[in-house]
Amino acid sequence: MHEAPMRNAPTFSVVAHPHKKVDGEGLMLGRPAYTDDLVPSNALHVKLVRSPHAFARIKSIDATEALKLPGVACVLTWKDCPRIPITRAGQGNPEPSPHDRFILDEYVRYVGDEAAVVAAEDEATAEKAASLLKIEYEVLEPILDFEHAKDNPIIIHPEEGIHEMFPIGFEPKRNIAAAYHMEVGDVEQELAASPVRVDTVVYTQAQNHVAMEPHAAFSYLDVQGRLTIVTSTQNPWHTRRLLGLALQMPLRSIRIVKPRVGGGFGAKQHIHVEPYVALVTLKTGRPARIALTRREVFESTFTRHQMRVNIRLGADPDGTLRAIDMQVLSNTGAYGEHALTTFMVAGSKTLPLYNKVKAVRFGGDVVYTNKVSAGAFRGYGAIQGLTGLESAIDELAHKLGVSPVELRRKNMIHEGETSEVFRIMGEGTEGVAMNIESCKLEECIRRGKELIGWNDERLVWEVAPGRVHALGMAIAMQGSGIPMIDMGSARIELQDGGFFKLHVGATDIGTGSDTILAQIAAEELGVDMEDIIIHSSDTDHTPFDVGAYASSTTYVSGSAVLKAAASMRRKLIDTVAMLWNVSPEDVIYEDKAFRTVDGSRHLTLHDFSYDTLYHNGVRMQTIEVTESFSGEKSPPPYLAGFVEIELDKETGKVDVVKYVGVADVGTPINPNLAKIQIEGGLLQGIGMALYEDVRYSDKGHLLSHNLMTYAIPSREDVGSIVVELVDSYEPSGPCGAKSAGEIGIDTPPAAIANAIRNATGVRLTHLPFTPDKVLAAIKAAEGAA
Amino acid sequence: MIVTITINGKKESLQIEPGDMLVDTLRNAGHVEVKKGCDTGNCGVCTVLLDGKPIRSCSFLAVRAEGHEITTIQGVAEEARRFADFLNREGADQCGFCAPGFALTVIAMKRELKNPTEEEIRHYLAGNLCRCTGYESQHRAIRNYLEADHA
Amino acid sequence: MEIKEYVRPSSLEEAYQLMRTRHATPLGGCVWLRMNAKPVALGVDLASLDLDYIRDTGDMIEIGAMTTYRSLETSNLLAKQYGKLFPEALSHIVGVQLRATISVGGTVAGRYGFSDLNTTLSALGAKVVLYPGTITDLATFIAEGAESPFLVEKILLPKGVRGAYQQIRITRNDFPILNVAVAWTGSAWRVAVGSRPAATRLCHAAMQMLGSDPCPSDQTIEAASMQAAEETSVGSDIRASHDYRKAVLPVLIRRALLEVRG
Ligand SMILES: Cc1cc2nc3c(=O)[nH]c(=O)nc-3n(C[C@H](O)[C@H](O)[C@H](O)COP(=O)(O)OP(=O)(O)OC[C@H]3O[C@@H](n4cnc5c(N)ncnc54)[C@H](O)[C@@H]3O)c2cc1C
Ligand code: FES
Ligand code: FES
Repeated sequence: MHEAPMRNAPTFSVVAHPHKKVDGEGLMLGRPAYTDDLVPSNALHVKLVRSPHAFARIKSIDATEALKLPGVACVLTWKDCPRIPITRAGQGNPEPSPHDRFILDEYVRYVGDEAAVVAAEDEATAEKAASLLKIEYEVLEPILDFEHAKDNPIIIHPEEGIHEMFPIGFEPKRNIAAAYHMEVGDVEQELAASPVRVDTVVYTQAQNHVAMEPHAAFSYLDVQGRLTIVTSTQNPWHTRRLLGLALQMPLRSIRIVKPRVGGGFGAKQHIHVEPYVALVTLKTGRPARIALTRREVFESTFTRHQMRVNIRLGADPDGTLRAIDMQVLSNTGAYGEHALTTFMVAGSKTLPLYNKVKAVRFGGDVVYTNKVSAGAFRGYGAIQGLTGLESAIDELAHKLGVSPVELRRKNMIHEGETSEVFRIMGEGTEGVAMNIESCKLEECIRRGKELIGWNDERLVWEVAPGRVHALGMAIAMQGSGIPMIDMGSARIELQDGGFFKLHVGATDIGTGSDTILAQIAAEELGVDMEDIIIHSSDTDHTPFDVGAYASSTTYVSGSAVLKAAASMRRKLIDTVAMLWNVSPEDVIYEDKAFRTVDGSRHLTLHDFSYDTLYHNGVRMQTIEVTESFSGEKSPPPYLAGFVEIELDKETGKVDVVKYVGVADVGTPINPNLAKIQIEGGLLQGIGMALYEDVRYSDKGHLLSHNLMTYAIPSREDVGSIVVELVDSYEPSGPCGAKSAGEIGIDTPPAAIANAIRNATGVRLTHLPFTPDKVLAAIKAAEGAA
Repeated sequence: MIVTITINGKKESLQIEPGDMLVDTLRNAGHVEVKKGCDTGNCGVCTVLLDGKPIRSCSFLAVRAEGHEITTIQGVAEEARRFADFLNREGADQCGFCAPGFALTVIAMKRELKNPTEEEIRHYLAGNLCRCTGYESQHRAIRNYLEADHA
Repeated sequence: MEIKEYVRPSSLEEAYQLMRTRHATPLGGCVWLRMNAKPVALGVDLASLDLDYIRDTGDMIEIGAMTTYRSLETSNLLAKQYGKLFPEALSHIVGVQLRATISVGGTVAGRYGFSDLNTTLSALGAKVVLYPGTITDLATFIAEGAESPFLVEKILLPKGVRGAYQQIRITRNDFPILNVAVAWTGSAWRVAVGSRPAATRLCHAAMQMLGSDPCPSDQTIEAASMQAAEETSVGSDIRASHDYRKAVLPVLIRRALLEVRG
């Protein structure tokens, strides 16, 4: 569909074309590119010693035996670290996450929490030394059930000094990391006056990102004695700022380099490994390297926030939605990274979908437990909120006896409309009022129905005795960056030879953002893709960018690139005009060349680049521009998800036969890469719906701590995934673009839950929908009938 | 101990411990094109060819490679480039961390299976996990790659 | 993994003597062993003992201990004897690369709870040959083990047996929640259940119920399936509960029996 010319959109020559990813071939050939491919050979190897207890106080650490081992460089404990409360969340400044964490602390708050750091000449010695460390713990009783955390007599964060950066409802003495409440209209009154009501609850589980590259970093002191850290991060600048605070170092003495990153999904939007290599390098003066094992990734990096989402809806018999009440309890684990913001997004990026209600309310708490901390993860609250909301909408359709598609169409948001929620709810702060200038949900739904073969009269059918197929659907929205908070910048410099260096702070974490940013620059500069040499990102060498998260790169960083390219274009014309002594209006820049309107003068970009750097005497100059962009709004992309499942009623096994996702992402800067973002997101969402679950023992030990115990979808699990992008153009976006990174993941849990409901008459409330849970629900319903 | 392994056609003598896994031996010897993604043998990013057949280098004792031929993606660079082209055209290369192991397995599959069906392709590659792409685009690329040879 | 001392004997006798005289660990595919945190004091590599074979000895099929899953899956000889049984039982296990390393001997010796192969072999009525020549019923070996140290040399499979395999997994190449294999030996039925999550067991009462009729009725099959669920103890793990396994066990057995009966 994206091949078709776009309505009210300009035509493009580089943008909206499926250009090859600039680093694709090199990565496939395995050229050294990722952090752990680049480690200096003389680096010390760092191992973290992790807590075997869910909650404990470290009474003593005896490193005598470990230090005796030849090749051991140092052992560091909480006593060696500055006692500065920080957050590990890579977010704007000031962070909406509480500063409730120390690099190393006297207390450990989950199994896997860092207790000590060991560095040695080789990995085996480091491991050996780690095992020789004698740590005496005072074991404390943990809180594992998030529904019993609030006001529990056990307090997970009793320590002094931890604090919020601005009011987020932080009440550590009550085990509350953050809390929030808002209401528009009078929800209770509207609900009471609604003839039709539903009241549903959904529990969404913690999920692991499983980026294929485990977290890795190495550090060294450069010739000037500055600390350089090469790391697989999504946000170099936040990393630098947080490290500066944690290590009490001026930011000017730290440099963060992001090489190629093997996937992020939010997993690398935090400082997990950087502080520890930095500590070792500062202590020893030596390069230091850390590469987490997959088990460590599971045990000590973050998960998706587990949530309980209660929804109450009120409607008229004709299907007019009158009120939505969404109450959420979120589990942030041991520390409060992204606690408030993921929780608020559960409302702020879902409730505007149904913007015609008379009253809407959102509220709840984010609580601490002694589990692995939760953090940023693609979908970022929206997937949890939507799973609740879109399940409730289907329940309402069942109650009203109407088509779930028509019920949504009647109540959902359209182009030109707004929602009060945009203004009230931001990410941790107030939001920004916003009119929707592009929303093609109607078209997404129309096309999605077609592709799945939707028929309201036939949402379930038998394919064999005991085996049924069923359809289900859900709609979703996300955002495109955080308005007034996210900022990206781009620098463009003309090089001799007539090509451009494009430096961006935006962090390509495998999504292809380098490619699409280069496309935007090439489009605006009227050159070929090969004429743009892109580099990302390095705090010493590329301009600032908040990083790759919140679906911001295309919209925010892309806008910065577009601005920079437009400035460069103007600057080129101005400079040539000056050289020719004509007015800029008389200079035409086209086909990589300049000419005067009357055709009397002509100069190629190539020749100009030589002139300005080698030939123009005192008028020689570097032609360079830097521009920044910060969004005034965050235009949502939309997606309609439709699923056909097969359900084996005898075993409870649910298979996705086909998943259709039709999305409005504005102009897809690179239709291929946009599509793959959505295909990948859908599968990750299907994984959450059906397979993936973070599980603990009753003592708080992680049971799902490797890929044997935490299975992600393979290529054989899902029948087919069909993604289409509808024509859309977002006036505020670069070349009409919105975001595509997160929207894909949002619909599968709800759509699959709705399909299971259609197949069996049973509403499943606890993700993931494993055969055990599905069969138990079917049997319970049979028993009740 | 010292083992002699032919890596991408070149004999290399490498110092190893008897319990070392091939992936670490290869990476330590500079073959960082072989990636490591898990501790358990589940992900497939460490795939190399042993005498032409795909194995997981994280689950294979380095000492057993003595006297055998190990091929990494660099050893089939030309074919890999050809396949990369099809993959790139679909946008099926995302973070790329799975790509060397995946591409090697595709190339081995092409040699081993004649005219594989879609099901056989998915089955052969099932152990190569990818968290980015959702697989669909990889399969579009594989189909085009295999068809190009028939044309 | 850490192997303190490594030897690679060239005869079974040499390997066996090492195991008898010293605290030695045989090295099969090492796919499982390598995840063991404990160092191996003496690793005896079985790779050079010519134990990688599948051959027809006339009245039996012999499978050497170092034969890999991939060989079982792709063996024409096995396909001719047992149809799709081996590919169906094994092809869910992770991926071709790992299956090219996993050994039959390591699997049998390990008596793993989750094993798909041990369930299949048990149903077929396989025997295990321990060097230097003890022959034991494989199902019994899985249930009871053998006195250490022992060295699995090969597996013997009867010919003319028809089997079917059924399993349920959360994802296609996760460990099974439950696996089941049944076989008609030509004179009797065999029913094996594995991944309970404990190791494979035969369902003797169900086997008896099915009797010596190659074509048991639907009712008999249903009754035998229920009997198998009745007599087999199952448990809970992260993949499924005891109740779930109890509920699905007869379903899988019925499906497998119907497949063999036709
Ligand atoms: C990620 C992963 C997923 C898996 N998934 C599944 C699955 O879904 N289903 C399934 O059935 N299996 C699965 N397996 C297990 C696999 O099938 C094998 O059972 C297991 O790897 C053992 O085989 P091995 O050759 O690696 O044995 P090894 O690790 O070499 O040996 C296992 C044990 O047996 C001993 N041993 C080895 N050979 C002999 C011998 N000849 N005589 C005496 N003792 C011996 C060893 O000393 C060791 O104690 C999985 C394994 C992994 C790593
Ligand atoms: S590293 Fe994951 S299978 Fe080898
Ligand atoms: S491209 Fe990232 S894991 Fe496959």
